[in-house]
Amino acid sequence: MAGGQLPRRIIKETSRLMSEPAPGISAHPSEDNLRYFNVMILGPQQSPYEGGIFKLELFLPEDYPMAAPKVRFLTKIYHPNIDKLGRICLDILKDKWSPALQIRTVLISIQALLSAPNPDDPLAENVARHWKDNEAEAVATAKEWTRMYASQ
Amino acid sequence: MANSGASVVVPRNFRLLEELEKGEKGIGDGTVSYGMEDGDDMLMRNWTGTIIGPQNTVHDGRIYTLKMSCGQMYPEQAPKVRFQTRINMSCVAADGTVDPRHFHTLGHWSREKTMETILIDVRKEMQQSHNRKLPQPPEGTRYS
Repeated sequence: MAGGQLPRRIIKETSRLMSEPAPGISAHPSEDNLRYFNVMILGPQQSPYEGGIFKLELFLPEDYPMAAPKVRFLTKIYHPNIDKLGRICLDILKDKWSPALQIRTVLISIQALLSAPNPDDPLAENVARHWKDNEAEAVATAKEWTRMYASQ
Repeated sequence: MANSGASVVVPRNFRLLEELEKGEKGIGDGTVSYGMEDGDDMLMRNWTGTIIGPQNTVHDGRIYTLKMSCGQMYPEQAPKVRFQTRINMSCVAADGTVDPRHFHTLGHWSREKTMETILIDVRKEMQQSHNRKLPQPPEGTRYS
């Protein structure tokens, strides 16, 4: 295996991400590790995260695209499918991953998850319970966290 | 095996998440274990390790806890390791710090090593002839 050589697929995905970014999403590889991306996702309109700028990190493991990218929020967020460490519960990052998916699809799915929290498949149990017991109050907390942690 | 495909470097945070998941599952025979000290810390800096003292040494039956702090340069740079439980051991300074100059795993650190490696190697060090019979502080006392 040639040391340091980046697979063509990753090069193509990266250049397309930069030249045609998806709305509300940016992803840039870091200078010293082209498999490691700094990601920003804008909180979707009409979601509790609207107005927030969320930082994430994404890493393409050695066996990508046979294995899913690894993604984590760096900005604190109050969401039933995202835990205290920023880990994300999303099927396509786990058993529903397919090599036909891309970095772009993953990030768009995460953005969609912000618009549609799913407390029935929780990662953060307390947050999910809050969401089910009193959705209005949970949404208010999510908005508050967006103001506190995700505003520039 | 640890380094197949030398070109792929797992960044700090994903590496620590891997270690966290491995630690949560439990390691080997359970004689060493570790976890995050503060489950809310998104920077994953501070970790607590536990070592069960090896048989046929003065440490037999004792349980030692250690703090490991992983800086922003981890795993390029070794974590700082400090015993919380008092111990008398050649590589441990008077305040409980494991001295990299006297502990090969930290002194000759490389990114393939993990917190698990550190704990296993500290435990091995307890079994070395120059350590296994050293007089020990009263059981369960801690550094301040």
